[in-house]
Amino acid sequence: MSANFNQPQRQSIVGILVMFFYSLQEYAKALWPILVIWFFKFNEINKGYLFGGTMAVFVIIGIVSYLKYLNFTFYIDLDNDEFIITEGVFNKTKTTIQLFKIQQVNINQSFIQRLVGVYELAVDTAGSNKREGNIRAISHALALDLKARLLENESKKTVDFADMVDSEELINKKVIDTEIPFIKISFLSLLKIGITSNYVKSFFVLLAFFISLFDHIKQITGRDVLHEQNVEDYVERSQIATAFLVLLIFFFLTVIMINLIRTVFKYFDYKIARQKGSLLLSFGLLNTKSTIIKPEKVQITSVTQNFFQKKMDVLHLKIKQATGGEKEDHKQHIEIPGCNKLEKDAILKLLFQKIPEKGVMLKPNFRKLGFSVFLTIGLPLIGFYFIRDLVIEQLPMIDYFVVLFIFFIGIIQFFIFRNSRLYINNDFIILQSGAWDVTNKIILPNKIQAITTTQLFWHKNINIGSLTLHTAGGNISFHLGNFTTIKQYVNLWLYEMETSDSNWM
Amino acid sequence: MSLKPEILNLKQKLQMENFINETIDTTQLPKYEEVEFSVLHSDYWKVILISLSLFFLIVGIGVGFALYFNEELSSFVFELGLTYVVMLLLAVFFSRLSFKKKGFAFRNHDVLFRHGIIATNTLVIPYNRVQHVSLHEGLLSRFFGLAKIEIFTAGGSSSDIMIPGIEKEQAENIKQLLMGKIQKQL
Repeated sequence: MSANFNQPQRQSIVGILVMFFYSLQEYAKALWPILVIWFFKFNEINKGYLFGGTMAVFVIIGIVSYLKYLNFTFYIDLDNDEFIITEGVFNKTKTTIQLFKIQQVNINQSFIQRLVGVYELAVDTAGSNKREGNIRAISHALALDLKARLLENESKKTVDFADMVDSEELINKKVIDTEIPFIKISFLSLLKIGITSNYVKSFFVLLAFFISLFDHIKQITGRDVLHEQNVEDYVERSQIATAFLVLLIFFFLTVIMINLIRTVFKYFDYKIARQKGSLLLSFGLLNTKSTIIKPEKVQITSVTQNFFQKKMDVLHLKIKQATGGEKEDHKQHIEIPGCNKLEKDAILKLLFQKIPEKGVMLKPNFRKLGFSVFLTIGLPLIGFYFIRDLVIEQLPMIDYFVVLFIFFIGIIQFFIFRNSRLYINNDFIILQSGAWDVTNKIILPNKIQAITTTQLFWHKNINIGSLTLHTAGGNISFHLGNFTTIKQYVNLWLYEMETSDSNWM
Repeated sequence: MSLKPEILNLKQKLQMENFINETIDTTQLPKYEEVEFSVLHSDYWKVILISLSLFFLIVGIGVGFALYFNEELSSFVFELGLTYVVMLLLAVFFSRLSFKKKGFAFRNHDVLFRHGIIATNTLVIPYNRVQHVSLHEGLLSRFFGLAKIEIFTAGGSSSDIMIPGIEKEQAENIKQLLMGKIQKQL
């Protein structure tokens, strides 16, 4: 019954059709503007050319599909325990996946594949964002067989592992299985978090909403509601400032209301339970969602709190788990809004076995402030200098707005700079950032996948540089710190990663 | 139920006896910043030049046609020509800089890749974090007998290493070496 996968083999022959349709789809996606134009000018185009051209395109795609089919082979190399796929017509690519690295093998069927009667087999290794091993046309029986062969290794490994921990597991099981929710986010906490967070995001959403609303009104009635003369009809010149203030307060209140409603709808009745060492979350008013957090899969844990939230003792937790691909990115970000300090500590303790502490502090160089001030204030000012003469006639008040802008952005940049810190101790790396909402991102050194250090050539003499730590849940970056210290820690982390076989997921 | 704390205690004791935790002298650790980097094969510069000239040839033909058919544009012929030449020179200059800057090194436990034009980026991947390795031969590179090694981690595309311009044979060797290293880590 078991097919022989040890020799390089091609996909099923109908795979050519699948390739053909996929290529056609790709070209159609790339060329749709031209197609639309053709469609509208259908009568003006010489039918003969159109027909001939279409035929030529079909034939070319057909040939390319056939060549792709010919050059696509896959097999399992038993000597090295690898799954090998070679593909490509002109640019040849050989992908080697070690069997033990395979996390998942999915068998899918798209509409086109259903028409032809084949299946797609996708190998997921939690590696890069690109799908790595993907066989697009394979019969169902063969796909199941190959899946079994690819995952053989995995089951062997887990069995061994299960044997080892069996005794301990059995004892723990009784205690843990019956765990009831140990944290419930109260309605009050949700209210608190609702009125104190996401100001900026909601502000822009609302702004976009109003702008599009005015746009619609203008289109329908043919009148510009926002035009100054209209406003002046209703409000006297002297009252304009008061009106502006009232509008602003109204706007602000709307933002808060929307935030509040959104938060309550999304996170109503938030419950966290423990199950076999994992966290089980469920929440939502209308559609209840439930997710699982496995502590060993957690890569980055962010704790966010602003000034008001600190006073009210609420904070926002965000947990990023290891992702298999880009698509699932959002699903894997889990947010826990409105827990207090005790609840946060309980959750962190479950994730890390102990409460993270801040160790040695790294500060950024003052040039970081200078550079961001240049980017966010300097460049806009230069731009303003050139257009000032044009604008000043219509808006005599513009200078005051500019001063206000500089003041506001300046304060924000200053706080971003002041809050930008990297804390390092033996067990945790904590990156602090943000202006108003201060976020602490916590990662464990053994979750690091790769390290990048960056230095601009004019920063060599003053010995500052940047650091990026890549994890399976995203990157964290610290800019313009003391480069000697950074390099020292990089060497230390590399040493730790390379001497231990820690489990990063 | 009463068994559990006892077992845990015993386990802890055992762990504590075998556990030594000496302070690591961080200044004595091997320094990644002092590693000697190997440069890319000199033929790879030719590959870059050829692909650059192809690109500029196509753009040039396009601009040429536009000039020929559009009368209004013809008066700007000097400005356009100047821009074209300046762009070409800049592209060559920055490509050269980038080519000179690229370097790689394989240590016992990790692979290093250095790149960047105005900034110097050094990316380090320990072998036990490598997910898989692949070999890529572009059409031009194949003509010169060169290949590109791609090393993937679970850290997303920003933490993958792509080393172009390595001799085919050497690239195969490196790949085998990496595969061996990865397997050993298990």
